[in-house]
Amino acid sequence: MGEEISHLMDGELDDEHVEIVCAQLKQPEAMTTWMCYHVIGDTLRGTDFRDAGFARRFGARFAAEPTVLAPRPRAARTLSFAWAAAATVAAVAVVGWVAVNTVEAPSTAFAKAREAASVRAMQVGPQTVPADYLLAHQEYSPTAPIQGVGPNFRAAAAQGVDGRP
Amino acid sequence: MVVRNVAQTMLRGSIAQLVLVLVLVAGAPPARAESVTEWLDRAALAARKLNYVGTIVYQHAGHVETSRLVHLNEGGVEIEKLVNLDGPAREVIRSQGEVRCFYPDAKVVRIEPRTFRNAFPSLSPMQRKSLAEYYDFSVGETSRVAGMEAQAYVFRPKDGLRYGHKFWAEIGTGLLLKALIINEKDEVVEQFTFTDVILGARVDRDMVKPSWPPAPPDWKVLKAGPDDVEVRDTGWTVAKVPPGFIKIGEGFRKLRGKRAQVAHLVFSDGLVAVSVFVEPTGAVTHPTGMLHKGGVNVYIRQLDDQVVTVLGEAPPATVRQIAYSISRR
Repeated sequence: MGEEISHLMDGELDDEHVEIVCAQLKQPEAMTTWMCYHVIGDTLRGTDFRDAGFARRFGARFAAEPTVLAPRPRAARTLSFAWAAAATVAAVAVVGWVAVNTVEAPSTAFAKAREAASVRAMQVGPQTVPADYLLAHQEYSPTAPIQGVGPNFRAAAAQGVDGRP
Repeated sequence: MVVRNVAQTMLRGSIAQLVLVLVLVAGAPPARAESVTEWLDRAALAARKLNYVGTIVYQHAGHVETSRLVHLNEGGVEIEKLVNLDGPAREVIRSQGEVRCFYPDAKVVRIEPRTFRNAFPSLSPMQRKSLAEYYDFSVGETSRVAGMEAQAYVFRPKDGLRYGHKFWAEIGTGLLLKALIINEKDEVVEQFTFTDVILGARVDRDMVKPSWPPAPPDWKVLKAGPDDVEVRDTGWTVAKVPPGFIKIGEGFRKLRGKRAQVAHLVFSDGLVAVSVFVEPTGAVTHPTGMLHKGGVNVYIRQLDDQVVTVLGEAPPATVRQIAYSISRR
């Protein structure tokens, strides 16, 4: 299940499976997994995680704050730093939220998050394309003959001289 | 429907023009490129029979690799030499049904006792059918590639299970000068281009000679025997083969360093192939998951005590679907 969701996020599912997994996402458990994976993905990629609701609430509260101090010359920089910090805090907060506000016990949710991380790690997978396999495959490629030795590039460049056991 | 008929008429028109151009340009009566397979045949023939020297640039995912290619056909005997010009030195020599890859930094020579060319030109009627059924083939624009006039041919996929392909062939000879693989977002995932090429070049044996002895004494020679491919039923079956793909080969092969034979099944839609390899899990655990190199996607998964590796010039979803629908018969 977790794996299927992960594949959905990576756009690796065929149409039929997309339907199936999307239907499963209606279950709270699956939705939790979906959110977990996204939070983990965003965190791993280092993309700013901003919850629209959070930004709106923060903005509203910020606007409502009385201006006690006169603006400092370097306010802009301070502000952007503050925003970055806020975003980080938000990310942590949301991870916490996902973990706590689930239909499952928090520990299960954390286990799920770990599982998600390992699924991702697996997907990073082997770094080199197995050269033996590429070469064995090449001879069947219908367009190989018109490309001449070209496709051998992939294999030769795939290194893996003895990369595989 | 009307639009389609018009398009077909236009297509026929442009092919007729193309044939006319070919007749005028080439002088000698060329093979008429009036259908997909005839063009493919013509390109394959040109790649085999001509002598040429050129520089090929291979681009994928922001990487650029440049190689020098020399092709000699001497009385029907073909020898081809490919040397990369950047990164660690690699040399590929293809001659007399064998492919030899030299890796001087690792002192390894890898010998493949076969040629991929025997797979062609032998598109089965089924492959021809799926080619027509799952791709819109059109003759594109003419443009210059490597300083030569080239005719573009476009294969647009009709579903999301295959990539788009665009080829440019030299007008006079049909030799492929440029090839693109395009994904569903219209992004180029892989590109082979000749940046310069001399057709009908004077090529002698010295120019296609390996830079090293066939098997240098202190090098490791990785070689599979010629009888290491055994064509037979593997006992494995793919329940949900993506539409348009048909099985074109099945057997066992012995790959170096592997004690057990590896089951190998090949599926093709007429333009590309997807290979399935199944082998017992060894002492070393394999990393699993998706990876890719240019237009080739690879999916590795564990199935009970077996490792399944699926790879081919097809989108991730296609490769994955095959990986997940394999089972013992």
